[in-house]
Amino acid sequence: MEHAYLGVDVGSISTKGVIIDKENNILASQYIWTQGDPIGAVKELVGLLEKQFDKANYEIVATGTTGSARKLVGAILGATMVKNEITAHAVGTTAFYPDVRTILEIGGQDSKIILVENGVAVDYAMNTLCAAGTGAFLSSQAKRLGIEVEDIGDYALRSTHPTQIAARCTVFAESDLVHKIQMGHPREDIIAGVCNAVAANYLNNVGKGKKILSPVVFQGGVSKNKGVVAAFERTLGCPVIVDPNGHLMGALGAAILARKGSGRKTFDFNLVNMDFRTREAGCGGCPNQCEIICVYRGDELIDSWGNRCERGANLR
Amino acid sequence: MAEAKTRSVSFPRYAEYNCAFQYIVEQALGCKYVMPPPLTKRTMELGAKYSPDFVCTPFKTMLGNMIEALEAGADTLLMTHGLCRLGYYGELLEQILRDLGYQFEFINLSEYDMSKKKEYLRIVRRFNPKVNPARFLARFLEGVRMVEYLDEITALYYQNCGFDAMDGAYRRSYQDFLTAMYTAQSRSDIEAGYRTVRRAFSSTRLDKPQRPLRVGIVGEFYTVMDGFSNLELEQKLADMGVEVHRWMNVTNQFLRYGSGQKNLRVKIRDLCQYDMGPTSTANIWYARECAERGFDGIVHVKSAACTPEIDVMPVLQNIGADYKIPVLYLTYDAQTSDVGLMTRLEAFYDMIHMRKKVL
Ligand code: SF4
Ligand code: SF4
Repeated sequence: MEHAYLGVDVGSISTKGVIIDKENNILASQYIWTQGDPIGAVKELVGLLEKQFDKANYEIVATGTTGSARKLVGAILGATMVKNEITAHAVGTTAFYPDVRTILEIGGQDSKIILVENGVAVDYAMNTLCAAGTGAFLSSQAKRLGIEVEDIGDYALRSTHPTQIAARCTVFAESDLVHKIQMGHPREDIIAGVCNAVAANYLNNVGKGKKILSPVVFQGGVSKNKGVVAAFERTLGCPVIVDPNGHLMGALGAAILARKGSGRKTFDFNLVNMDFRTREAGCGGCPNQCEIICVYRGDELIDSWGNRCERGANLR
Repeated sequence: MAEAKTRSVSFPRYAEYNCAFQYIVEQALGCKYVMPPPLTKRTMELGAKYSPDFVCTPFKTMLGNMIEALEAGADTLLMTHGLCRLGYYGELLEQILRDLGYQFEFINLSEYDMSKKKEYLRIVRRFNPKVNPARFLARFLEGVRMVEYLDEITALYYQNCGFDAMDGAYRRSYQDFLTAMYTAQSRSDIEAGYRTVRRAFSSTRLDKPQRPLRVGIVGEFYTVMDGFSNLELEQKLADMGVEVHRWMNVTNQFLRYGSGQKNLRVKIRDLCQYDMGPTSTANIWYARECAERGFDGIVHVKSAACTPEIDVMPVLQNIGADYKIPVLYLTYDAQTSDVGLMTRLEAFYDMIHMRKKVL
């Protein structure tokens, strides 16, 4: 029996999972929508991974979780490693690009930048402030122009004179865009302008004051957009690497961290058939009114958190 | 008249300094002190509800807690002369509270010229006309002593509590010390509490590596010191196994270096030319100090809408680049969640931890 390691990345939008062997080769991988139900998504994910997985020759001996629901999912999967998404992304990416110096990431709702030196993250920043640097801005503007999000890239690459769009802040960018449409700029130029604006806004906000060195790896949903990739290459003056497995880097990092960690626990695929639920218990101990999240397997309480002080611990 | 009966004085919660406010009000001024309830979600909701939009979070916290103090029976509120906008905020606070229909007297220190000795006596007399100045001064200085002890012990605590090898003994000693300060009635109570905690600290076994991770905390005066406001940033970092260092406290900023700021300014002349805000000079100086002492990271803390500290950030970026020291910038607003903060802190910890192994 060879050892294998499971990594799961549960974000607000998508849920990703990989199983790797001890050389970081991917044995199984899956990507599905979270749809506001992390428990359901993880059960489905595990079921789909099981189908791809060679149970006769491999055994999962450690499990890592990451993403915004890492704690909940960690409790459910009996994870041996629960890691924040920044570390998981950095570890996943450096495993495949040991020389990487800069990781750009733009997701649907947020974006981050990680600077790497000698395979170790040395600086990072996260942004949740300005929507103009995220995928949500891109898709809403595509809708305004009446084109599919998937086609943005091709449109943008056809443009020879990208329209200048004020990129400082979402509100300005939107009104400027409307103005440029009314002035009759061609659609591909406007789309290219929007891609430039996303890149510029990202570099101005998240990337502010950060020294971006090559090799640069670009991840997150928006990295699938060729227009934004081209905009980054133009502004940064260096090639920008987009890995086809880029969306899995968080899950990969979680799996690798689980492999490197000391915890060992055989993973049981049967968990798909078990009943998990969460309950929110309000502590009335003081005006903080902490909401304590309790996770149950059947009737058994397996984990809880959210209380600010010990008084809330008795409540579950 | 209010003058005839003893005043019930309050000042909003601020880190753990309320034990010293209480001591000074009761022992030195001979008034009653109303301890406002600890800061909670309710405080923030009250504060946010009645504050104008443009103010920073510390203002909202103070307003919320002043309302709670009035509810608890305070008839006199004290407002310090602030470091920055907080100084001008006094009038605004008073106006909002009056509009809400509260009856109270508001003693705003920024209305007095604190450089004149006579003014101090005027303030004291306003609290209690029967005060004997000599006795007041002696007991006031005991309160100041308490602040110094508090700052000294708190600094020690956050540098060491993350390495407690005795199952929370360090933390319990610190809590006991705080209790002792909150109940102290005399100089000997203060001294005894201080001696006890020093003894307890030095007899607690610490499990500290030779080169522990060290992080320096800088930032805006209120949020950087108040554990409720910064979501227990220092405790969270310490619990990960980090030596947490913070220079900024009342002792260093006001009591010792109040006039020494000039010297700090000279020391950072190469980094910035002007004084940019109430605490910028000290923060820039201390950030570089941490970098030069080989710390593993710096955390910069500010509340949303705090303009002075925004100006400090580019200078910190330069320090970070020059000394190759990671700087984490945290901005707190009412929406900042524990979960979000933990993600950033854990990532920061992983980063400085892995970096140390490689270097
Ligand atoms: S857990 Fe503690 S802080 Fe939270 S509501 Fe209960 S008593 Fe208050
Ligand atoms: S320093 Fe910042 S947080 Fe403090 S009062 Fe001034 S603006 Fe507000």
